[in-house]
Amino acid sequence: MTTTLVDATDQAELAILNLHKKFMSESRPPEALLPLNEAALQRFELLKFPHRKHEMYTFVNTKELVSTVFSLPPETPVSKDFIKSHIFPECESSYLVIADGVFRDDLSDYSAIKSAINLVPIEEAVAQSEIKEYMADTIEKENDVFASINTAFLSRGTMIDVPRKQQVETPLQILHVSTGSTSGKVTSHPRILVRLGEMAELKMIVKYVGAQGNYFVNSVMDLLVGEQAGITYVQVQEDAMDAWHFSKTRVVQGQNSRVSAFNAFFGNQLTRHHFEAHLKDVGVELKLNSVSVLTDQEQVHNFVRIHHEAPHGTSAQVFKNIVSGKSRSSIDGTVIVNQGAQQTNSDQLINNLMLSDNAHADTKPNLMIFADDVKCTHGATVGQLDEDQLFYLKTRGLIEKVAKELLTKSFAESIIQTIEFPGVVEYLENNLLKKLEA
Amino acid sequence: MLEVKDLRAGFDGTEIIKGISLSVKAGEVHAIMGPNGSGKSTLAKVLVGHPSYEVMGGEVTFNGENLLEMDPEQRALKGLFMGFQYPVEIPGVNNAEFLRMAYNAKRVNEGKEEIDPLDFDDILVEKMEMLSMEKKYRERNLNEGFSGGEKKKNEILQMAILEPKLAVLDETDSGLDIDAMRVVADGVNRLRNENNALILITHYQRLLEYIKPDYVHVLSHGIIVKSGEKDLALELEARGYDWLAPTN
Ligand SMILES: Nc1ncnc2c1ncn2[C@@H]1O[C@H](COP(=O)(O)OP(=O)(O)OP(=O)(O)O)[C@@H](O)[C@H]1O
Ligand SMILES: [Mg+2]
Repeated sequence: MTTTLVDATDQAELAILNLHKKFMSESRPPEALLPLNEAALQRFELLKFPHRKHEMYTFVNTKELVSTVFSLPPETPVSKDFIKSHIFPECESSYLVIADGVFRDDLSDYSAIKSAINLVPIEEAVAQSEIKEYMADTIEKENDVFASINTAFLSRGTMIDVPRKQQVETPLQILHVSTGSTSGKVTSHPRILVRLGEMAELKMIVKYVGAQGNYFVNSVMDLLVGEQAGITYVQVQEDAMDAWHFSKTRVVQGQNSRVSAFNAFFGNQLTRHHFEAHLKDVGVELKLNSVSVLTDQEQVHNFVRIHHEAPHGTSAQVFKNIVSGKSRSSIDGTVIVNQGAQQTNSDQLINNLMLSDNAHADTKPNLMIFADDVKCTHGATVGQLDEDQLFYLKTRGLIEKVAKELLTKSFAESIIQTIEFPGVVEYLENNLLKKLEA
Repeated sequence: MLEVKDLRAGFDGTEIIKGISLSVKAGEVHAIMGPNGSGKSTLAKVLVGHPSYEVMGGEVTFNGENLLEMDPEQRALKGLFMGFQYPVEIPGVNNAEFLRMAYNAKRVNEGKEEIDPLDFDDILVEKMEMLSMEKKYRERNLNEGFSGGEKKKNEILQMAILEPKLAVLDETDSGLDIDAMRVVADGVNRLRNENNALILITHYQRLLEYIKPDYVHVLSHGIIVKSGEKDLALELEARGYDWLAPTN
């Protein structure tokens, strides 16, 4: 039996190598990226696809994904109306459209912030030694094979550069559209690199959607946050139901910088998000909130690694997952406090609300502490609706169904409310929470 | 309005309410006093149908109907209200929205149309002004982060909006400062009429100076050990409960 398993993964790896050959000849990545493509491909060959017991994929079954043979998406038109329908009100003239990983100037409108940010094609960005070294370093250290694949297929990424002291007040939306396919399955590898100079500020909303299904979007976003800089962003995953969504966000934070991240997941047949943060210098603050509302057979898996690498860092994470039907959620989250990272404060809270016996909510919170003067907590709850809350609402005349729905929504609402973009809050209330109405 | 006959109730087979009879008529105010742990809150929660408690005997009718057979929400819709000693916090539920849902649930039950948020806001603002509540409590989450006194005010706000036939207020006065107590008592008094009734559970005579009870009952170890008129409250304040302790 083992041999067939090995064969299957070998096949899958071969398929990627074949696809990569095609990519090299058809997509013709810019010259400057070739060494990165090559190095990442080698990393991929070393890492290989995860086998069933791979520690980074404990709860994620990738068998079907890796045995699917993908092709590269043909250039497919995307209508402006479709784009418009996915732009949040606060970003009406500050959005970038990335279609199948390719920045589409013709579909974007960022007139409101044009003077505040620089958009640099990734092949130009890597000419800067800081970016070049960062890319080379992460390729070498990458241990998530899907992120390696992303870089191996890197050709049309974009760097969003916010210069030193620039405070971008208007939120920037990045809309990732997977055009999908009606014949066969396609894969794309979007890559966004956001660099904030010293004391720069950025607000960002990232949204993933599919024009149609049958795709695998394998995305990476790098956030390089300079000294005393701050970024607040929300990522909304709302891909087609029969799509695969893998995304990785890699955060590197400089001295006294602030990152406030929020992930909202609609789920689909398989979504996995990998959040990796390096609190590199002193006095860093990191906040990560997350909500997922899953029904039917939907799956969302979070894999989180937060590295406290310097003293006086703070990280706070809250996850809220609602699972019903036969859906699955998992949070595999580890906070690592390095030896020198004294006075670290770290909290992680995972709350799962189970609405059905057939749903799964796995949690694997973990702390690895190598410093002695730290305050770290983590906790996880799995539960049904609170009886006392339910009773309270009933004593006010709300019937059981209404009271339950209100409480279920409130479970997610309480974290959605922490989002600072009213348009996103409203969108999630009207769409994500809508999933709970039977 | 409310007829309680030899009610016995508790949880996990342990009796806490050990045979209580009580008759409350429209227009009346009854005060229930008694030492900590005597079963006052339990009695109130059994009346509104808390699922943790088990009724072990006796009967309760509310305007002629068997109360014990009804779900908590039915009891509420029939006009029974409880102001909790410890109101729960519900993060993520907007206070104003919740109040409107409750108000509309009552309206729909009465065969009336639901009222929209704007019209409801007028009602809400009026009631909040009556209770000197700042408008910001509309936007807050239901009881979340409310101080002890603010929670109690929010309970009375709900009562003011739902206009129940019978309200059981469990230690609404505890946690209120002196001014707030006067405001709340005035509010409650304004809601009173000959068609509704009140049961006040309290430890303090002070509340009963503002809301004058027709009867005072002393609960001890799950039974009413003494009933009297409002002077009894004064006597309790002076003498405590020891002299009333049941002998068995
Ligand atoms: N759910 C429960 N689980 C365990 N014990 C309970 C529960 N409910 C009530 N009790 C017990 O029943 C007794 C009566 O409690 P109750 O809350 O009714 O008292 P009370 O008269 O309201 O007291 P207080 O004046 O302190 O509010 C107490 O001994 C209490 O500990
Ligand atoms: Mg009590």
